[in-house]
Formats: sequence, structure tokens, C-alpha cells
Amino acid sequence: MSVPLARRAALLLAAAGLALLAQGLWIPVKAQVAQVLLDRAFERSVASGGPHKPWPWADTAPVARVEAARLGVGEVVLSGGSGEAMAFGPTELAGTQRGVRVLAGHRDTHFRFLRELRRGDRLVLRGIDGSAGDYRVIGVSTVRWDRFAYPLAPPRPLLALATCYPFDSDRPGPLRRVVWAERIA
Amino acid sequence: MRRTVLRKLGIGWLLWPVFVVVVAMFSAAALTAREPADDLPDAAAGGALMLRGKGMAEELPAVRLATDIAVEVSGPVARFTVTQAFRNSSPRWMEATYLYPLPDDGAVDSLKMVVGGRIFVGRIKPREEARQIYEDALANGQKAGLVEEARANLFRNRVANVGPGETVLVQVEFQAPVRRAGGTYSLRMPLVAAPRYVPPRSLAGRTAVEDALDVTAPLAAPSIAGGLNPVSITVDLAPGYAPARIQSPYHRVVVTETGRNARRVALAGGGTAADRDFELRWQAPGTAPSFGLFRKRHGGLDYVMAAITPPSAGPQGEVPPREMVFVIDNSGSMAGESMRAARDSLIYALGTLRPQDRFNVIRFDDTMTELFRQPVAASADQVATAVRFAEALDAEGGTEMLPALQAALVDRRGGSGLRQVVFLTDGSLSNEAEMMSEIERGRGRSTVFMVGVGSAPNTYLMRRMAEAGRGTFTHIGVAGEAAERMQELLDRLTAPVARDLEVTVAGANLELAPRDLPDLYAGEPLVLLGRSRNLAGAVLTVSGTVGGNAWSQALRLDDAGESDAVAKLWASRRIAEVEARRWSGELDYEAADKAVEALGMDFHLVTARTSLVAVDETPTRPAGASLTHEELPLLLPAGWDFDALFGDQPSFDGTETADSEASQDAALELPQGGTGFASMMAQGLVLIALALALLALPRRRGRWSEA
Repeated sequence: MSVPLARRAALLLAAAGLALLAQGLWIPVKAQVAQVLLDRAFERSVASGGPHKPWPWADTAPVARVEAARLGVGEVVLSGGSGEAMAFGPTELAGTQRGVRVLAGHRDTHFRFLRELRRGDRLVLRGIDGSAGDYRVIGVSTVRWDRFAYPLAPPRPLLALATCYPFDSDRPGPLRRVVWAERIA
Repeated sequence: MRRTVLRKLGIGWLLWPVFVVVVAMFSAAALTAREPADDLPDAAAGGALMLRGKGMAEELPAVRLATDIAVEVSGPVARFTVTQAFRNSSPRWMEATYLYPLPDDGAVDSLKMVVGGRIFVGRIKPREEARQIYEDALANGQKAGLVEEARANLFRNRVANVGPGETVLVQVEFQAPVRRAGGTYSLRMPLVAAPRYVPPRSLAGRTAVEDALDVTAPLAAPSIAGGLNPVSITVDLAPGYAPARIQSPYHRVVVTETGRNARRVALAGGGTAADRDFELRWQAPGTAPSFGLFRKRHGGLDYVMAAITPPSAGPQGEVPPREMVFVIDNSGSMAGESMRAARDSLIYALGTLRPQDRFNVIRFDDTMTELFRQPVAASADQVATAVRFAEALDAEGGTEMLPALQAALVDRRGGSGLRQVVFLTDGSLSNEAEMMSEIERGRGRSTVFMVGVGSAPNTYLMRRMAEAGRGTFTHIGVAGEAAERMQELLDRLTAPVARDLEVTVAGANLELAPRDLPDLYAGEPLVLLGRSRNLAGAVLTVSGTVGGNAWSQALRLDDAGESDAVAKLWASRRIAEVEARRWSGELDYEAADKAVEALGMDFHLVTARTSLVAVDETPTRPAGASLTHEELPLLLPAGWDFDALFGDQPSFDGTETADSEASQDAALELPQGGTGFASMMAQGLVLIALALALLALPRRRGRWSEA
């Protein structure tokens, strides 16, 4: 009597488990696939000098590419800063004053490399206008998401890369890791 | 690519309860990990971004400000006189700027600048011209005052060349209609401009950023906040009857009787800090008059304002069965707090359906799903299905509202019963014009209610859509207030008092603002503003359906009381309508600008396109003396946590700014930076392992029974 019931429950559980697994798996896959499409959109944007959408229904477009040569990492940065765009790539937060750019990305996909960045590391930020800025990492800070501030008039242009912290945690938390870099060329 | 696997399979609703039960049993910790920590509301997950580029002020400003507000209520209108005294406590010549809010429907029509006993009256000018006049005066060393509109309810005053030790008074006047709900009348005066949330999406490009900076001001640090920006308030109430039960919910007041039908209300203790809104409520004794009628002749035209309360539709017991269609936006821009608020609101609303009602749920992003092929009876089963559907919604994809709107307006049953469409959205879309025309064309018997979700929904669009759909607009900022606000809305929805309202004037053509009259819900009066060439001797007839019966009321316009405010109220209502049509794309930008400028100039009102400027022709600042500019800091609204906004400034190594003037910081909120996919996969694996264990279990038991 209890056998078919238990079996049915087991099948349901297995299906739920598989679905969850697939959903979890889908996130990094989506992040990877999107970067491929974004790379292409970025190249096209650079070639044409204007933003190109990576896919027709996208709410966002590439604005830059951030590269860390020592780690061999390069990620296409999207406009917007919305949670949706962040699934596909790091985004540039709007609303910062002249001289400061803030990029935000997920700690378990695109911005995992933040963990490896050290003071002195070189970063390159390429714009879709063909410009390239060389930055040097000058420090790292950990702040609450609502207590982040940047200097209004830095002596040199600044670049801040922000992601969730701690890196190993899987739960959404209030802390953010911010890697600061200043422009050297 | 954007549909989750679960939704594609269409079995998400089946899996979640199983998942929740099992995981709760085996790993309570893992479940809580999926929720943000309780004490840390994570608004950043919604992508909200606060622009506070102006930072905070730690030192007392050189120019001190004190504000006096005098309000006269006569009949249906409150006239506010706001006097700001700018006192220069420094030995320098100063220019000061102050950002302040006014009620939504307030229209500034007068500026006076008082310098040492001399009064300079402001003139209305197109915005650029006014600014040029002001800046010329500023450069010439003349005293000058300028009032500009930053938003429909946010204004900026500038006063130039205030000498050392001098005080300059800047006085603006405006009026707003007294609000009425049920038997209670109220007026509200905001005293502080709250720091504004600016959605990142809206900050594309430099002009947008400049516009955002226009509506922000530095905030006063707590160390200097005490005693800054004091306000005194006096209200003279002469509503035409003896006001009863006068209440001020947020401030202590003293009420004195100044006449049979007149009262004076003043703040107890004289003054208060400008950190919260002032509100005053009162009631009419006994039976309130069922209508108020006022008129004014201006520029060869007659303006009329009527406030009419239809009779209540008998006992409000049983509400007739109705058809409700809920449309919920689950596009990417809703991600986070907005999605939670929308979902909670929908689930709350579903819970209020009765078995005799019919309903449907439609969700949309760049695709669309109708839960049922057509509206179904609200049986317990169907409602439960809808709740599960709502719970499984994820915010992803673009915003294609039009197909959802079209689907929602399809009325398969027809008839004359109530059909209500409730939209839950942040309205971040660009094809507003299509939406508007679709509502106009396809509305039929449906009423469209807009529920704006999130910290910065597209309010203009939603007000306009609700107006076109003859419904109302409700704003839900955070998930926490979803139940309360939805309850208010739904309570009103259950009892529409008057429908199909029309106004006719015998022998005259009346130009109404708004042009379409809304349905009326419990306790709401119909407030209409109109103008016509000649209303002398005319009779205004309001007709409609009250509780299923035809109803009409005729008002003789010769009986109307004279009120100077009527023409200006008509104009400011019309300006709001032009602005809404601008945002809905109905009017192109230039045409809207022109229309607003013409209305502003014609009625002497400060608008987005017109400003008031006053100049003292005699220069006072000696040639060669330099001028210091100062933007006066604002107090943080009461209840806001200063530390949460400006607490620990992160210290980062390496860059130390030498110039102390320039070492000001700007705050920025950082979005959620993790997907949590690993734990999702781990939980999936746990479930699979569990299933395997379950499968193995009966086989063993079977073997035992054989043995």
C-alpha cells in the first residue's frame, strides 16, 4: 500500500531536485553564454561607435569592457545597474560624478575574479568609443551596501568594482567588497 | 533564454510546496538563507539607487533661514503665504539657494522680495528669460529673487547679493484646493523635500543627471540640525461653516475661536523644525452641504469650480457581483522589492474575491500569460490556483504592456455589470502613447485602476492611464505596505457610488479639466473645474448612475460664490494634464512646453516653463566685493536614519585628497552582487538524494516482509 505512495513522493522529490538543479545550473550557463553574445555586441559597438544591443529584446547594451591582464579576465560591462542586466554581466552604476566610475557584478559569476585582485594589479577599461584607460588597484574596502561613498573630487579618476561579500557565502547579505583603482594612463 | 526552466515546464507551482516542506524539514538553515537577513532590508536588490551628489553639510550655513507659513482657508480653497527669511550671519556677500516642497496641486502665483522695508514684486517670465534676468542682477550686485519649479511639487528659491548681516525676505503665495473625503476636510503642507530615490535607469546621460541634481540638496548633519530651518505656521479657517473636531496629527497646535465660523490654528510653542509634513483636518458640523459652487471671471472667460457629493447608494451591504482582471508586471525592472510588493498585493487582492465574482490574472514581461482562458468564477480552487501562479512569478525580461492591456480589456461577457482591471506595474515603458489610445478605444465598461509599485514608478503615466480608464492611481512603495494600501484600494473598489458621470451646461460649452470625469467611490466628491465663454444665468447639470439608478443634479451658476482661486486652480489642473500628456507621448515635447508656458504666463503661475523673478534696480554690492554661493542644507525627514545614509565613510588606502574643500563624498547604493546558484544546486542535489533514499526504502521493507 505504502509503496506506490512513497514512490510517487520520491518521483516528485526527484523532479523537484532536478528542476532546482537545472535552475541553479542555468545561472552560470546564462552568465557565460551572455558574455559570448556580449563580446560580439561590444566588438560591433566599438566598430560602429554606438551601443549595440546583444540580442534584440535586451534592455541593456555594452558600455565598456573591463580587463585584468594578470588574471586573464575580461568582462563586458553593461549599462543600467538593474538586477536583470547583472545576470548577464557586470553593470555600470549611473549617477556618479565626473571622475568616478562604479561597476557592480555578481561575486559567483562575472566578478569572482575580484577575490584575486591585489594592490598594484593593472586593470584596463575599454570604452565602446575605442578609448582605453589604464588603472592600478590602490586598495580594497568592505562596506555595507547603503554606506558606500566615493570622493567627489578625486585627484585622479577612480574606478570602483563592487560585488557581494563574503565570497564564499551563498546568502544575500548587506556587505559589499569594493576594489578601488586609480587611473594611471 | 529568459524563461526559467520551471516556468517553461509549467509545473513550478507543483514543485514549490514540495520543495518548501522537504527543505524546511531537512535544512531549515538553507531555507532562511534564501531570504535576506531580517534586520537588513535590502532595497538595493531592486536596483534602486539614491543620488546624493550634494553630500552632507557639517558646518552651519552662513545664511540662516526661518520660514513662516500663513494659510487662509475660505470655502473650498486654501491660500498659503510662505515667507522665507534669509539672514546672512557672515561678513561676506552671499547668494543662497533653498529647495522646498509644495502640495501636489499647489500653484505659485506671487513672489515678493522685501529688503529693508522696500518691497519688490516678482514678474512672471519664461524660464530662461527669468534666469537671465536673475543672473544679470546677480552679476551687477543687485538684490534679486527667483522662484523656479524643479518638479510639479518641488520648488527652488534663489536670492542674490545678501549683504553682511542683512536679512532678505522672500514671500511666495500659492493656493491649493481643500481635500475632502467623507465628512472630513484636510489640508497638507509638506515642509521638507525628502532625499529622492533616482532609479538608475533614469540617469542615462548628463542632462538626466543634471535634472536629478536639480531635485536634490545637501543634508544637514545631526550636529548642526538642532534649531536649523525653524518654521512657524498659522491657519485661519473660515470654511463657511463652524469647523468641528480640528486635528493636527503630526504637530501640537492651539486653536482659538476668532468668529462664529472662524478659527485660528497655530503651532503650540510657536515653531517647529522643517522635518515633517503639516496636516490639518476638520469636519463640518451635522450634515455637510452636498455641493460647493464657486466661479471667477478671468480674461473674458468664466471659470467654475463645483464640488458635488452624490447621494450614497443606500445601505452598502451587498456589492453586486463583478468581474476583476489583475494584470501583473514581472519584467526585469521589477526585480527585487518591487516584485515582492506586486506579488503580495496581488495575493492580498485574490483573497478578497467572493464566490459570486469572476476573475482572471494576466502576467507580462516581453511575453504574456493569461492564467485562465477567460475570467472564471472565484471558487476556492480557482483562487488557490491563482495564488500559486502569483507566488511563482519571477521578474525577468522586457516590458511589453500593450498585449496584456489588450487582453485585459477583452470583455467576453458584456453586459452592464462592474468590470474592473487592476494593473500592478512600475510603468517603465516607452510606448505610453499606444497604451493611452488602447484604453481610450477599448475601455468599454471596464474601469482601469493603476497600482504603481516600487520606489519610483512612472507616476505621470499611471495617473494618466487611471484617468483615461476612469479609475484611480495608488502607489505602493515597499512590500510592507502592500496589504494596507491594497485594502484601501479594494475597499473603495467594492463600493463605486456614482458612474457614467457627465456634466452639461445649458446654453454654453464647458471646457473641463480633467476632460473625462472619473467614477466616484465611497466618500469622494466630484470636483470639477471648467471654463466657458459666458456662464451668466446658465444651469450646470451633473448626471450619472447612482446605485444603478439614474441621478442628476442641477446647479444654478448664478448662485455660485465668487472665489479668486477658481481660474488659477483650473489652470494648474490643466497644466498637470498637459504634463501628463507630454509623458504619455500624446503631445510632443515642444507643443507641451508651449502650452505650459502659455498657461503659466496667462495665469501668472510658476511652472516648468515659467519662473517668477524680482530685482532691486539699485546695485548694493560694492564693485569688487566677491559673492559667495551657498546651497542651504535640508533637514532629514523625521524617521529617517542619518547614520544609515551617511554613516561610516569607507576608508580606502592610497588616495588622500589634499584640498579639504574637495574632499566631500557622495553616497551611492550598491546592488546585490550574488546569484546564490551554488546553494540552489546543492538543494537540488539534496532533494534528489532524498528521492533515491525513498525509492530504496520500500524495496528493503519488501525484502524483510518476505523473510
